[in-house]
Amino acid sequence: MSGLGTTFGRGAMTNHFADFKNADVVMAIGSNNAENHPVSMAWVQEARAKGGKYIVVDPRFTRSAALADIYAPLRSGTDIAFYGGLMKYIMDNDLWQKEYVTNYTNASFLVSPEYAFDDATGLFSSWDDAAGAYDTKATWKYQVAEEKPWDTAGAFAWAVADGVPEFTPPVDKVALKDLTMQDPNCVWQLMRKHYERYTPEVVSKITGCPKEKLIEVWATFASTGAAEKSGTILYAMGQTQHTYGSQNVRAMAVLQLLLGNVGIAGGGINALRGEANVQGSTDMAVLSHILPGYFAVPSAVKHPTLRSWLEAETLPGGYWTNKPKFLISMLKEFYGPYATLENDFAYDMLPKLNAINHTHIGVFESVGAGTVKGMMCWGQNPAVGGPNSGFEREMLAKLDWLLAVDLWETETASFWKAPGVDSASIQTEVFMLPAVCHFEKQGSISNSGRWIQWRYKAVDGPGESRDDFEILHELFLKLKEKYEVEGGANPEQITQLYWPYETDGHADITKVAQGINGYTVADGNLVKNFTLLKADGSTASGCWIYSGYFNNNDAPNDPTQQPTGARGKEDPGNLGLYPNWSFSWPVNRRIVYNRASADLNGKPWSAEKMLVEWTGTEWVTNDVPDFGYKVVAEDGTVTYTPPNNKAFIMLPELGGRLWGAGGMKDGPFPEHYEPFESPATNLLNGRQSNPALTFGSAESVKPGDPEKYPIVCTTYRVTEHWQTGGMTRNVPWLAEAMPAMFVEMSEELAEEKGIANKDMVRVFNERGSLEMYAIVTPRFKPFDIDGKIVHQVGMPWHWGYGSGHATGAIANDLTPNVGDANTSIPEYKAYLVNVEKV
Amino acid sequence: MTENAILYDSSKCSACKGCQVQCKQWNNLPSSLGKDTNEFTGSYQSMADLNGDTRLLIGFDEKAADGGIEWAFGRRSCFHCTDPTCVSVCPSGALSKLDDGTVRLDSSKCIGCKYCTAVCPFEVPKYRASSGVSNKCTLCDDRTTAGREPACVQTCPAAALSYGPREDVIAAGKVRVEELKTAGFDKAELYGETEMGGMHVLAVAKFGLEAHGYKRNPKAPTAAMIFDLMRPLTALGVAGIAAVLSVSFLASRGYERPDAAVDATKEEN
Repeated sequence: MSGLGTTFGRGAMTNHFADFKNADVVMAIGSNNAENHPVSMAWVQEARAKGGKYIVVDPRFTRSAALADIYAPLRSGTDIAFYGGLMKYIMDNDLWQKEYVTNYTNASFLVSPEYAFDDATGLFSSWDDAAGAYDTKATWKYQVAEEKPWDTAGAFAWAVADGVPEFTPPVDKVALKDLTMQDPNCVWQLMRKHYERYTPEVVSKITGCPKEKLIEVWATFASTGAAEKSGTILYAMGQTQHTYGSQNVRAMAVLQLLLGNVGIAGGGINALRGEANVQGSTDMAVLSHILPGYFAVPSAVKHPTLRSWLEAETLPGGYWTNKPKFLISMLKEFYGPYATLENDFAYDMLPKLNAINHTHIGVFESVGAGTVKGMMCWGQNPAVGGPNSGFEREMLAKLDWLLAVDLWETETASFWKAPGVDSASIQTEVFMLPAVCHFEKQGSISNSGRWIQWRYKAVDGPGESRDDFEILHELFLKLKEKYEVEGGANPEQITQLYWPYETDGHADITKVAQGINGYTVADGNLVKNFTLLKADGSTASGCWIYSGYFNNNDAPNDPTQQPTGARGKEDPGNLGLYPNWSFSWPVNRRIVYNRASADLNGKPWSAEKMLVEWTGTEWVTNDVPDFGYKVVAEDGTVTYTPPNNKAFIMLPELGGRLWGAGGMKDGPFPEHYEPFESPATNLLNGRQSNPALTFGSAESVKPGDPEKYPIVCTTYRVTEHWQTGGMTRNVPWLAEAMPAMFVEMSEELAEEKGIANKDMVRVFNERGSLEMYAIVTPRFKPFDIDGKIVHQVGMPWHWGYGSGHATGAIANDLTPNVGDANTSIPEYKAYLVNVEKV
Repeated sequence: MTENAILYDSSKCSACKGCQVQCKQWNNLPSSLGKDTNEFTGSYQSMADLNGDTRLLIGFDEKAADGGIEWAFGRRSCFHCTDPTCVSVCPSGALSKLDDGTVRLDSSKCIGCKYCTAVCPFEVPKYRASSGVSNKCTLCDDRTTAGREPACVQTCPAAALSYGPREDVIAAGKVRVEELKTAGFDKAELYGETEMGGMHVLAVAKFGLEAHGYKRNPKAPTAAMIFDLMRPLTALGVAGIAAVLSVSFLASRGYERPDAAVDATKEEN
């Protein structure tokens, strides 16, 4: 998310599943889409049927690889070397999309001469060794051409209007540019210089991918740099679950800008989300650092007051200048009538972050530190799914209480009866609430392509199982009652919460949907979309980016009559856009940044893939334009805005960021580092691992010595099971389809270790030791890493000891609980183990 | 009546097993309700072979080849032969041929004699101990007669399965084989056009028949001719005939054959 957000302005998938068919080249890297998103193959096959190529880059030969036109092996965790090499290949061979890069990116922007990267130390400028972090504001900045304050008499009059809380608007520091891109400090020259080291020879030594194969893949993908061609990248957890996962994603994003592949049909960066509604859960901020709609959770130091938040977080240019409108509308939905101008719209009620890392890894460290005493695991099973899950189970035993809400008794709910655990020694009080599954409740789910689709209840859940929202609703009412009766610390946070989400005394999810969409406070009328939200408290909206998905005032309680319930199959342009099928955020755009699908004069790069086109007098469109394309006067007169170069409206630069300050904590250019645990030495710079990674010194991590644990291990999923297995190991048909836990290894490693196929083996490191079947297969091959043979093995992580027809070892007992520098996502995909025959 | 057929394109199949599971769901076929009772085969394939409760199985065969891996997926199920030996030997009339080419199994008429298993060149029909009858793919005749696709075809996310007039299926299969050859898969071939008089499940074998576990030149055992002659006798008493036949035929011929299409042991993977 942070890699895409920094580069394009939004952290979400740029295109959508049906759009894959428009690609000339599809590259799956860090995604095993045929196995984990089987439906995606329907669209990939359509692309191939039209002559498109499907490339799979993966450490192992997967079911996706079996269907690929080109398969390239890559040692786990070496993606940035691969991308860096590819970018150098594109620049050296002049394969980049020049008009696109020059006009729609920051290639021509001049960077402060104080910015630097030192390959001897592997550090960018402004590294603070004592803090173990970069000062991201000190030298990572542009040279300034002019300072443009907001015109509060004109376009920004809203910021000083009656009822809007007082804040000093930011000043837009417009960067100096050199459109010839010859200045040594311009982004283009810095980028050329930065990736000069990424030669095919070095990249091959790091990745273990033969040089000829690298060139074959690079040439094929780089062919989409031709203006009329489009290439798309499918990625998933294979990119993100690294200590530099965000930079992996950024590297792809930069690559796609170079080739002019962003904002076009058949292009983009497509994050294939691991769960059906994970896009929805991030949109709704099921993360520790963001509020719904992607703005910062207040920090006690940085944003003690509403004014300080508005001043620190409102961007000086681009569409994020409107942030105050969205935050205040959100506060109005959270706190309703209690939120007034006088009390800063109840801003003080929002929890403030302290210096502690509250991500998944951090929460379990906090349990260890004794500061977290209770836990609700709601549809999450950390006892199997968490990194270093053995450690996490130990931490569960330190809790005073644990609430598990799930469809089955997960390993988390039953951690106290895990094999080898003495339950008498555990004092944790455990509550288990059975929840219904998705066929047993209604609500919206947001797929990877940002389509918010309403789903309806088909059947009642079994027994006493309940809808999650009903559970939450009753929990809230009970808490409110207790705070009202008994008081306590900051009771208003609960007692003043605005909670109109019921009908006839029952929880009603459609009322939540109305609150998310937004409405005018005075009359309760749903707003058409977020352009009508205001910063003066006269509108409310729980999550601004969704505004428009539930906006029909003629039938406000009927999801079938709302955009999210729309099921029209019309497809203008035959591009798979399906604008009348559900609602895609923002404002039903199917392909974001679509201004970039046409040249500077508004002529589409490819006539067959037209999304928007300037006729000379107006814009004709197949998709909802993602740029300022018209002005509607009060009397309804439409004036079209002639084409300009403002293709990335969510960034103050209004252009995509090849060099990306203002978002990443670990460098403006993606740079290769080795995984936290690696058998190889960093060949590209003097720093072994990402200097800004998180939890590297936590005692619980127990790093493995490469001498003792020389084998690279990775974890993954298989088609037959889902996540920690609760929903699949409990289904007899699926348990049968993939019945047992296994580790896959090469024939070469098996021979070295005296292991035969189907043998029981032990896989172990300092964090744990597991027994499972071996699959000995030519689909795994040893890597030649700088002249040294490096073996890699892999394990699925679907098994556990709990309920179900198939049980088995928990792969995550071996994964390290170290995190990415930006997001603290754990490094599940590359770590060290050893293997022996049992 | 138009003859219909399924086309399985192994070069598009992602081996997700959606069809394998959907077959069980539509046909109400169980899997074990026990804990950890399913056998691990040593590969992604599960189970080792078809069984009384499993009519469709996705096979995984792999080998290292020049410049890479041949991971050959296969679809193991009844092929619905034009000359179905199983129908010839069925003493109870449970097996019959429909006009559209489907080899139908009416389990309410099945007496569980296992002849069909014995004579099938692919050993497809399996004895279902729980109900004492044979079990095999019916081409979802309950669905196709109502104008719907077979369940496996409907569920396939990768468009590897299609269903339609057999002539069209053959034409599409041939086109696909040529495409694959052009793309460098020299051994690609179409299975089922002529085998067993022409089959109603055809397969595009990306790496050649053997790689995917398809038997080249399948032939009905000659012993089947005996049954063909004896068939009119079934009217005299199904149970009696069945008892006699099972002793004489099975004792003389043996039940297990080493050349079954799917290697049940999978030891070599």
